Amino acid sequence: MPISRRSFSIAAAGSLLAACSTSKEGKKFTVGMSQCNLGEPWRVQMNADVEAAAAKHPELKVLFKDAQNDTLKQRAHIEEFVSAGVDALIVTPKESQPLTEPIAKAYQAKIPVIVLDRAVVGDQFTTFIGADNRKIGRAAGEWLKKKLNGNGRIVELKGLMTSIPGQDRNQGFRDGIAGSSIEVIFEADMKWLEPDARKEMESALARFPKIDAVYAHNDPGAHGAYLAAQAAGREKDIVFVGIDALPQEGVAYVRQGILSATFQYPTGGAEAIDAVMKLRAAQTIPRQITLGSRVFTAENAAGGGEPLA
Amino acid sequence: MKAALQSPTARALLALLIVLLIGVIFPADDAFYRLGTHRDALRQASVTGILACGMTLVILSGGIDLAVGSILGLTAVCFALFSIWWQWPAWLAVLACLLIGTACGLASGLLVSLLRLQPFIATLAMMVFARGLAKTVSGGVKVATAVKNADGSFRYVDVPDSFRTLDSRLLGGNLSMVTVIFLAVVAVCGVLLTRHVWGRDLYAIGGNEEAARLSGVHVRLSKTLAYAGCGLLAAIAGMCQAAQEQQGDPEAGGGYELNAIAMVVIGGTALTGGRGGILLTLIGAATIGYLEKILSLNAVPEASRLMLTGVIIVAAVLTQRRKRY
Repeated sequence: MPISRRSFSIAAAGSLLAACSTSKEGKKFTVGMSQCNLGEPWRVQMNADVEAAAAKHPELKVLFKDAQNDTLKQRAHIEEFVSAGVDALIVTPKESQPLTEPIAKAYQAKIPVIVLDRAVVGDQFTTFIGADNRKIGRAAGEWLKKKLNGNGRIVELKGLMTSIPGQDRNQGFRDGIAGSSIEVIFEADMKWLEPDARKEMESALARFPKIDAVYAHNDPGAHGAYLAAQAAGREKDIVFVGIDALPQEGVAYVRQGILSATFQYPTGGAEAIDAVMKLRAAQTIPRQITLGSRVFTAENAAGGGEPLA
Repeated sequence: MKAALQSPTARALLALLIVLLIGVIFPADDAFYRLGTHRDALRQASVTGILACGMTLVILSGGIDLAVGSILGLTAVCFALFSIWWQWPAWLAVLACLLIGTACGLASGLLVSLLRLQPFIATLAMMVFARGLAKTVSGGVKVATAVKNADGSFRYVDVPDSFRTLDSRLLGGNLSMVTVIFLAVVAVCGVLLTRHVWGRDLYAIGGNEEAARLSGVHVRLSKTLAYAGCGLLAAIAGMCQAAQEQQGDPEAGGGYELNAIAMVVIGGTALTGGRGGILLTLIGAATIGYLEKILSLNAVPEASRLMLTGVIIVAAVLTQRRKRY
């Protein structure tokens, strides 16, 4: 799409100029945030978390760039931040391998690099902050095992199965329900998309007269499945479980009684700013920070959920 | 008899029958024989089908409209914003969305007919613009029933009645409201294309624009109206989409333009313009809808689904051929 690219590079040039002028003028500590894709609500939330955490430190200035799901564009953004001379860099890589080298170059240019959400290859970065999808998937499996007393027929609506989070949320869940009589009777790839989830669930409902639970790899998927079951008048017989627990999505669905549970996939935005502040104060931080997750159910959602063991 | 079998409608029906036959061979625990399955297949095809109707108008005139998916997303966001967050009365929200969609289509049409941009380029520009506008209007988040308060907490509002009506069912639960809307759109477009001078002008322009101009057809006006109508229908589709999702997703409709084009082409309307019709698009929409439904019922893995869809589209279009080569 030539048009979007052109308009974007103009915008990028503008923010680059802004970056140059601020670092010359003041004593502000500039942080470059390279987001791989703002098309997903979860990543919008991550940027919002970074912004909210940074707002508590007036000496920080965060510059955001959105690579619109394009690896080469993100590589260019990282290089732009390096040549603009930012004081620290937060990167959520679109892909590991192709972005390892641009990140390593930034790190070699003595810019602290915080890699968020997806890891890169090797050790040429300051720290990696991320959550464990497999662990979260397993927790969802164990929760359903308990909820259904180890017995039931489940529909699994999978995220994009060519993506690592989709594979991990699938594998972890299967580990979680292992050893019980729970049976996955229908599974389909809904590509993280709510309309697709609703379509697939309608097919499952048409085929199977008895479905005990739906495990969807994200909350919009679980919501789409709920709407399909509601249209068929069967939503009361089914337990719906999702992942991500964004405040305006999963947690809201739990509080509205749509989902029975949602498992948080934390953005790490606040933790990234925390790491920046520690680096600025010349403190040492660990090479890897694994984020904890929380489960939200009807009982605890109002109180902010419960941390997972 | 032979002539009847070779009519475009008969050929389009043949493609649909082939797809239905696949369903009969693979009924997925007899789910294919249940009435609800057919209601759902048609419901799923309806939103894209409405887009395909608008696309038919534009394609008949020899153009293409790539912006319909984005306009769907924009109007879905606006409809949710007006109805859920701002609590506008239904008639005002619907009217405003129709105006927004029509304005987008009108802009594409003016770019094509007055500034003589290629339809592909003009509507590509509208496609990225409308998507950006949808994201701007929504602030990058889905507009849903969880409304953010000033202090960052959330309050929950009911799904508006207009959403419930659009997502309701008729005839004892056997027909979805969106399918009725789709059929109504088909009927209106059908009357306009066959009984109104504007419709016949579109065929003339698509057949030979220069000849149409020389014979006194208002080429610019007719073409502009085709794009405006396409935008209007995309707005109707956007409202149906928002009602079914109970939210306005700024990413909604991404890639729908290609599905809409596929429905038009599988029906047998020529991409070069001037030849085809709205009834063919209805059959094409049903063909694609049933194909998706049958693959989903049988839980065919995504990778095989894509390959099968490709093969079946080619097979369906080959049955549409006018002559043997």
